[in-house]
Amino acid sequence: MAQSSAFPAEQYNFDIVRKFMIVAMIYGVIGMTVGVYIASELAWPFLNFDIPALTFGRLRPVHTSLVIFGFGGSALFATSYYIVQRTCQARLAFPWLAEFTFWGWTAGVALGVMTYMAGFSQGREYAEFEWPLDLAIAVVWVSYILVYVETIRRRSQPHIYVANWFFLSFLLAVALLHIFNNLAVPVSLTKSYSLFAGVQDAMTQWWYGHNAVGFFLTAAFLGMMYYFVPKQAGRPVYSYRLSIIHFWALIFLYMWAGGHHLHWTALPDWVSTLSATFSVLLLMPSWGGMINGIMTLSGAWDKLRSDPVMLFLITSLSFYGMSTFEGPLMSLKSVNALSHYTDWTIGHVHSGALGWVALVSFGSFYHLMPRLYETKLYSQTLIYVHFWLATIGIVLYITSMWVAGIGQGLMLRSFDDYGNLAYTFIETVEFMHTPYVWRALGGAFFVVGALVMAYNMVMTVRASRIERAALEAKLAAKLAQA
Amino acid sequence: MSDNTLNVQQQSGAVQTTGHAWDGDLQEYNNPLPRWWLWCFYGTVVFSILYWFIYPSWPVGQTWLKGFGTVSYTIADKATGKEQEREHRWNTRALLLEDLGDAANNKQRRDMLAKVQAAGYDQIVKDPKMMEFVRSVGKGLFGDNCAACHGRGGQGAKGMYPNLTDDDWLWGGSMDQIHETLVRGRNGFMPAFGQVLKPEQLDDVAEYVLTLSNEAKPSEASERGKEIFHGQTGGCYYCHGADAKGVQSQGAANLTDKIWAIADVDPKKTLQDNKSAVKDFVAKGVNNTRVMPAWKDRLSPTDIKLLAIYVRQLGGAK
Repeated sequence: MAQSSAFPAEQYNFDIVRKFMIVAMIYGVIGMTVGVYIASELAWPFLNFDIPALTFGRLRPVHTSLVIFGFGGSALFATSYYIVQRTCQARLAFPWLAEFTFWGWTAGVALGVMTYMAGFSQGREYAEFEWPLDLAIAVVWVSYILVYVETIRRRSQPHIYVANWFFLSFLLAVALLHIFNNLAVPVSLTKSYSLFAGVQDAMTQWWYGHNAVGFFLTAAFLGMMYYFVPKQAGRPVYSYRLSIIHFWALIFLYMWAGGHHLHWTALPDWVSTLSATFSVLLLMPSWGGMINGIMTLSGAWDKLRSDPVMLFLITSLSFYGMSTFEGPLMSLKSVNALSHYTDWTIGHVHSGALGWVALVSFGSFYHLMPRLYETKLYSQTLIYVHFWLATIGIVLYITSMWVAGIGQGLMLRSFDDYGNLAYTFIETVEFMHTPYVWRALGGAFFVVGALVMAYNMVMTVRASRIERAALEAKLAAKLAQA
Repeated sequence: MSDNTLNVQQQSGAVQTTGHAWDGDLQEYNNPLPRWWLWCFYGTVVFSILYWFIYPSWPVGQTWLKGFGTVSYTIADKATGKEQEREHRWNTRALLLEDLGDAANNKQRRDMLAKVQAAGYDQIVKDPKMMEFVRSVGKGLFGDNCAACHGRGGQGAKGMYPNLTDDDWLWGGSMDQIHETLVRGRNGFMPAFGQVLKPEQLDDVAEYVLTLSNEAKPSEASERGKEIFHGQTGGCYYCHGADAKGVQSQGAANLTDKIWAIADVDPKKTLQDNKSAVKDFVAKGVNNTRVMPAWKDRLSPTDIKLLAIYVRQLGGAK
């Protein structure tokens, strides 16, 4: 303890971490609110008010980009910059470049969502940014890699901590994915055409799309988990061996699984088979991370009763385990025939996005706040309130999507005695109205929880300012006396 | 999630870490891989290999492993038209052929379809078995092609798409007329009178139109409206008829019943509201807002036949 905790706020660059954390919360609250709005549009279509910028088609990428890149991305910047400094015992390299990644990333996301609302989109899921923004993001990303790798090179620790392996794989993979998926021929400043055609284009897109889940939303957040869970628990990670095996298995296998997004399409059958099996093979490597996180608490389970931050972290791992079980299941051809193109997929994504990504980020932020601002958290009770709001919201969300998705899937494949379809498409839409209302409600719970957290954060920062002012006044008074 | 190794460590109390420490207290135990985890992982490997044997999988040179799974389906020989059973290595195309074969070979469906194709409208309507079949097919046809405008139950949308459930037919409710409507489509038209008639005259006509269905009592105004309706000034009777019962060949509505397709007239509303609804509509007319597309190039003759019967029975016609 002694070697690093003397004056961490001066030893390390926490300013950049604070900035990214605040931006993550702002983008998170806006992005999740947009999510609730478009969920409500599906339940009550009049809500688009016939304004093109407010229609589902335009707002949906606004929601996904804000929560994945705005919230998730900024949370990763914040935590990775924090973790790499503390585990390498080195101050962040190239502070000006780190500053550039902050402004570049923040502006890129903001510009991106504004162009979507204006109607400019590449039409590639989770990569809707048009080519000028893609180029800018690539520059920011390379800067991020430089800062990160150079900080590791300057480490004063002989070994590189496991969290950093995960962040490094994420940095490398996202660069590859982003560049290859966005290869396009520009025809104007706001329009470009993909370099690939037909099913190869679709496959490239889902190679990207699935690995965005794999490396952005899984590997990187596992890096976050590997630091904050043992740190918050005050216990060693359960198994070093497991972390090595599941790390290499995870990053090797994820790259091949994207084809399962294209089952029952023009994708060749053999590609579809391979991607299904690689997804099944991913189950245990994914669970390796969950085991390592949850078992870290083994022997100290009572912390779940006394520490709400631990509650966030361990619950996030439970949702991670659940959605990484559901994923391989849905990637099987026969299950996919039922689930594909239904809301089951949406529910699956959100059990990962809300349950895993958001909860682990919230938990990490609660851990960070007192340390970054050198004060106590404003309210422990509000963390509990946030936890329950979030958990109820997630459960409402995913159960309503199971009902909507599996229900619609079953309706679309049922026949009467004559072999005619028993239901028309419009009947399935009518059926889904009620679950859609519940889903919007679940999302609203989650947003309210995030707002409670934002309030807690603002009050903590304020308290820290007041304390510091008081301290300075005391010092000044002492100096005046002397 | 309890496994032996962990219990051993906890019992002995001697937990080994890797000996590294980061950021002060960050350490790692070196527990072995949980045995259940390892066996489950091997399980997924075995499962995947089996999956590769069943389905088309690894690419080899210019081709790929075809897998041992098979699909059998029935298909008609192109030259002779004779049906034959075929077995094919599992692939998506063979599965589709199997599904299509299942649908085409559903005996009940095939028999009923042949029967309906051969029968005339009169026969079908009288036969409860055939009508059951018509409703089974018609529901899907209507839901996929018509419901977007007319609503799933055919209830329509006032002012925009006619209600098909009230047995009141703008273009005629006989089987042949409905058939014609489906085949060729329809384009409802009424000239706008906003420029032709003065506001007072529009008031008078509206009041007269309301008396036709007893929504209003005859008055001086309605008498003046009657003259406009039946005279050269308005000329409404050209299309709606001298008896105002409408002319189906024009798609002109019957004004003497209580069914209002466009103007939102409702006995529960005040006379003034009803009058302004009618007046508004007469002033604007209908021009290219009530168009039904022609279906002859979109649906097969059999589908149109089935739909015609389905739509007619929606209106409750016997």
